[in-house]
Amino acid sequence: MENNNEVLLRVEHLCQYFKMGRKELKAVDDVSFEIKKGEVFGLVGESGCGKTTTGRSIIKLYDITSGNIYFKGQRICAGTRSYREEISSAKAACRAEIKEAKEAAKADPSAKRQAEERIAAARRRCAEIVARNNAAIASAKRDHRTCDREYAQTLVDELKREYEPKLAASSGNEEQLKKLKKELRYKCSVARKTKLITRIQMIFQDPIASLNPRMTVREIVSEGLVINGIKDKKYIDEQVYEMLELVGLVREHAGRYPHEFSGGQRQRIGIARSVIMRPDMIIADEPVSALDVSIQAQVINLLNELREKLGLTILFIAHDLSVVKYFSDRIGVMYFGKMVELAPSDEIFAHPLHPYTRSLLSAIPLPDPRYEKQRTRIIYNPIAEHDYSVDKPSMREITPGHFVYCNDAEERKYREQLGL
Amino acid sequence: MADNILQVKNLKISFRTVGGTVKAVRDISFNLARGETLAIVGESGSGKSVTSKAILGILAGNAIIEGGEILYDGKDLLRISEDDMHRIRGDKISMIFQDPLSSLDPIVKIGKQITEAMMLKNKANRRAGRREFNSMLATLRQHMKAAGGDAAKVDELTKKFDSFNTEALKLEGAYNAARTHAEELVADIEDFLFRVEHNQKFDLRRKLQSFLKRLRLVKDDFLTHGFDDAISAACEELRGMIASLGSVFDVMREWLRRATGRENEVEVPRNVVDALISLKQLLQNVTAQPLPNFFRIGYCKLAGQDISLDGRSVEELNAAALEYLDADFMNEFLALATAGVRHSAQLALEGKRAFVQSAERARSFFAEDGFAKKDAHALCKQFNALVDASIDRLDTVKDSLAYTFRQSFRSAVNRYFYYKKRNPKEEARFARQTKKREALIAKGRRVDWKVVPKVVMDLDEERANIIAVVDRLAAKYEADIASSAGVDYRAGCVALVDFFKEKASQVVYRVTEKMARERAIKLMEEVGIPEPRIRFYQYPFEFSGGMRQRIVIAIALAANPDILICDEPTTALDVTIQAQILELINKLKAERNLSVIFITHDLGVVANMADRVAVMYAGKIVELGTADDIFYDPRHPYTWALLSSMPDLDTNEKLDAIPGTPPNMIYPPKGDAFAERNKYALKIDFEEQPPMFKVSETHYAATWLLHPDAPRVPVPKVITDRIANMKKLTGDSNGK
Repeated sequence: MENNNEVLLRVEHLCQYFKMGRKELKAVDDVSFEIKKGEVFGLVGESGCGKTTTGRSIIKLYDITSGNIYFKGQRICAGTRSYREEISSAKAACRAEIKEAKEAAKADPSAKRQAEERIAAARRRCAEIVARNNAAIASAKRDHRTCDREYAQTLVDELKREYEPKLAASSGNEEQLKKLKKELRYKCSVARKTKLITRIQMIFQDPIASLNPRMTVREIVSEGLVINGIKDKKYIDEQVYEMLELVGLVREHAGRYPHEFSGGQRQRIGIARSVIMRPDMIIADEPVSALDVSIQAQVINLLNELREKLGLTILFIAHDLSVVKYFSDRIGVMYFGKMVELAPSDEIFAHPLHPYTRSLLSAIPLPDPRYEKQRTRIIYNPIAEHDYSVDKPSMREITPGHFVYCNDAEERKYREQLGL
Repeated sequence: MADNILQVKNLKISFRTVGGTVKAVRDISFNLARGETLAIVGESGSGKSVTSKAILGILAGNAIIEGGEILYDGKDLLRISEDDMHRIRGDKISMIFQDPLSSLDPIVKIGKQITEAMMLKNKANRRAGRREFNSMLATLRQHMKAAGGDAAKVDELTKKFDSFNTEALKLEGAYNAARTHAEELVADIEDFLFRVEHNQKFDLRRKLQSFLKRLRLVKDDFLTHGFDDAISAACEELRGMIASLGSVFDVMREWLRRATGRENEVEVPRNVVDALISLKQLLQNVTAQPLPNFFRIGYCKLAGQDISLDGRSVEELNAAALEYLDADFMNEFLALATAGVRHSAQLALEGKRAFVQSAERARSFFAEDGFAKKDAHALCKQFNALVDASIDRLDTVKDSLAYTFRQSFRSAVNRYFYYKKRNPKEEARFARQTKKREALIAKGRRVDWKVVPKVVMDLDEERANIIAVVDRLAAKYEADIASSAGVDYRAGCVALVDFFKEKASQVVYRVTEKMARERAIKLMEEVGIPEPRIRFYQYPFEFSGGMRQRIVIAIALAANPDILICDEPTTALDVTIQAQILELINKLKAERNLSVIFITHDLGVVANMADRVAVMYAGKIVELGTADDIFYDPRHPYTWALLSSMPDLDTNEKLDAIPGTPPNMIYPPKGDAFAERNKYALKIDFEEQPPMFKVSETHYAATWLLHPDAPRVPVPKVITDRIANMKKLTGDSNGK
């Protein structure tokens, strides 16, 4: 997977704020990362650090506050807050300058012309910034709204191109032509309903709460296809059976209701529901934390198999670090809405740099009593650890592929630690 | 082990459900020693939570306890009344539940939830203390008389004992009341200072007046001795401050009234704060004094001796009182009482001998089938009488086995007769249904129902159970008889007097709301909640998950229990919080010598917490041993599977998942329950349940692989690799 460098998902400066009364909760604050095709990207952090929110923002369950998300090179989400802030700050700067110029003119009437020029220049500059940002907002809104439509249009176009020679070849044969046209019409209608976002699917944490108790397994698994406009019952059934067998259930299970299954089997149903859409990417939000130990291993093995068979890319969100380590190629560690460290999984466990990562790693209990007796936990206190009053932090690459959220002084320290 | 605080024996629990009876716990036994952590590991549905709930007597309504005993402090928790259970639950045995949100009341403030238990328990303890004191004294008097003591003398002495105890209680009550006032005043001042620190404004005059009122109540000869002047000076100072408030603050108050529309609310001047801090220090010094021994002083007072503290320290007074008490009363009383204790113990010893001698009768009676129900019940009655006679009621340490003998014996006998009656019926039903089903199949019909398997108990085993009850007690008694020569009755008698003292002071120990609050705040600090004085008045929804779990722990610890049951306390939390909570439980355990039952399915957590580990599967303990036994030398295939199914930080290969799902416990499998999912299952695993094989003194495992005739199955490579890895890891960190 290392040699495949095609970026499937790119998240740029993602911010997701929630209103909490008068205050605002910064659930995700300026997070950027890329996921390459075919890799498993793990997101870890304590509860409430925004890892689930990141996943949900990507799949458009929330409207993001600011930032961009690109999927297959197409922008699927865009927030407008940053542009608006830029506009208002530009306007404020402009107003301040005008006021200053006017006062200068009042004090010294001889420099009145100069002041007028200054005001005009400021207004021009402001107008320029406003126009640029307005354009950005408009484009963001358009992308946000029309990305699905554009994707559907490309699919339809592709279909039409595919059918053109066939239609041309069978001209004259009325019956054949009619059949082909009907087929094309049906396929186009399905394609028009297809959304880009369905290429990303989600597996939820709680297998009990995420399955509708009133629907049979067949209905649950096939729901995505039905919403997509597929009416062919036989095709749907075939797909459902195939998926059930893929995830280790049997055909007979299709007619049953979720409550008839054990926890592990329910999670399998959830997985079948997400892979039936043949997605490029799956967001797995703590898929194993609600399961029993012996079942957890089964589900992890299943996800691994699916990944190999279907070439899936997975965003794996979990708080169990040993599972994340086992499953992921790269890991991002989040703390209070910020990404604090991002590195290949072996690297992050071998050379954790950020103090939070180190405290997190030191808290993992291992099934080894003697080791546990000796284990000392590192306590992370952000106020004591960092001094960001002067030197502002940002994501920096310490070694290739290993990013840490730090400032200049800390960057130097980390480099020393690694012996660079 | 000698110091077993809790013993679970042959516990069997099932649940009635629509589908049939689910056998949740099938015959498990374990002991919990004082100050140890026992971890119970297993999947959901393996019966670990059910076991812990049975210990607390909070099983769901459809649960049936089919048999067994849970022994704690001379009681069988499965058979005591709800009232008695009420006294133990929360007070002696506490539980931390899995989900902190659902175990807190959402509409009651945190503080109230923590203090509630303290207040209620204190009330109950005071009543119980009085009762126990009286009944024990009556028993003692009886034995003293029977031991040949002069009846009049005995009556006089015990009456004196009782009356000077009462006198002591009066003194102690007054002392405690004054002390309570002092403690509450300290709490009030601390609260006040906290609010000053946070720039809150309030009615200073009224506050100071209330302080003054309380300070006047801190008045007891023994408590404030030596501090009288300081306290009256403080009183004067307070009064002066209150008087000065009127004049000095008039202007400011007027200004405030205009500004805020509220009267009397002024900022607290520095000198008031300083005065209050020194007052707090003074009161803390007062309460930190050594406790007078009221038991002794009470007697001196009754005898008209001088008990004033003039020119003496409390210790001196204590010593003088002791001298007088010993000379005048105690030596005489102790001599008589020791005779009483000896008499009681020897009577009990005779009873024990009689029991041991007649134990053979029970063995032979129940050895063969075919005894009549009437005879069995008569024998039951005789034995109950024997055991009753053999219990030393004056012993302060209760003998669990003897106290629960009556119930255990009777239920074992009843169980035998129940199954004797039921077994043929069950067999007949099974035969009938099978015949019907086979007939239908023979006709070629589709049969979509199964025959419910027959529940037939082995009557021989039931009889063995009855004999085991007798044998256990007989063995205990034989040991007692053997060691009876070296018993120090005087020590026993002193312990008895201590028991009286403890019960008596329980009666006068009163917990007020303010004291409870102060203690709760201390407890909240102890479990690591920042700013407990603010947090005390918040509702559960204002806390994060980790904080809520801490509150639950604080509530569980409020009553200072002997045993703490933790039912997956960290499963819903993330690693950092989990680590904090585990450290907290470990710390508290060491501080308070708690015994902990820790239920979880996370083996990492087990390694951190446990002294001993019990692995449960399908309602049975499959492996039991110390943490080192289980992690470095696992023997049961299920333990292997558990250890190898979770990735650790070095795992790269495919996980060794356990195939399939746990068995349906409505129809428990005939042989080893794990056989179906077990790669190493032998043929016998499907046919017969393996017994517990002993690996070492502390390590037991229920698998046929340990049978001498079984083929050698090597421990899976994953496990050996992992153990080697772990050893390397710990070796490395040792080297550092």
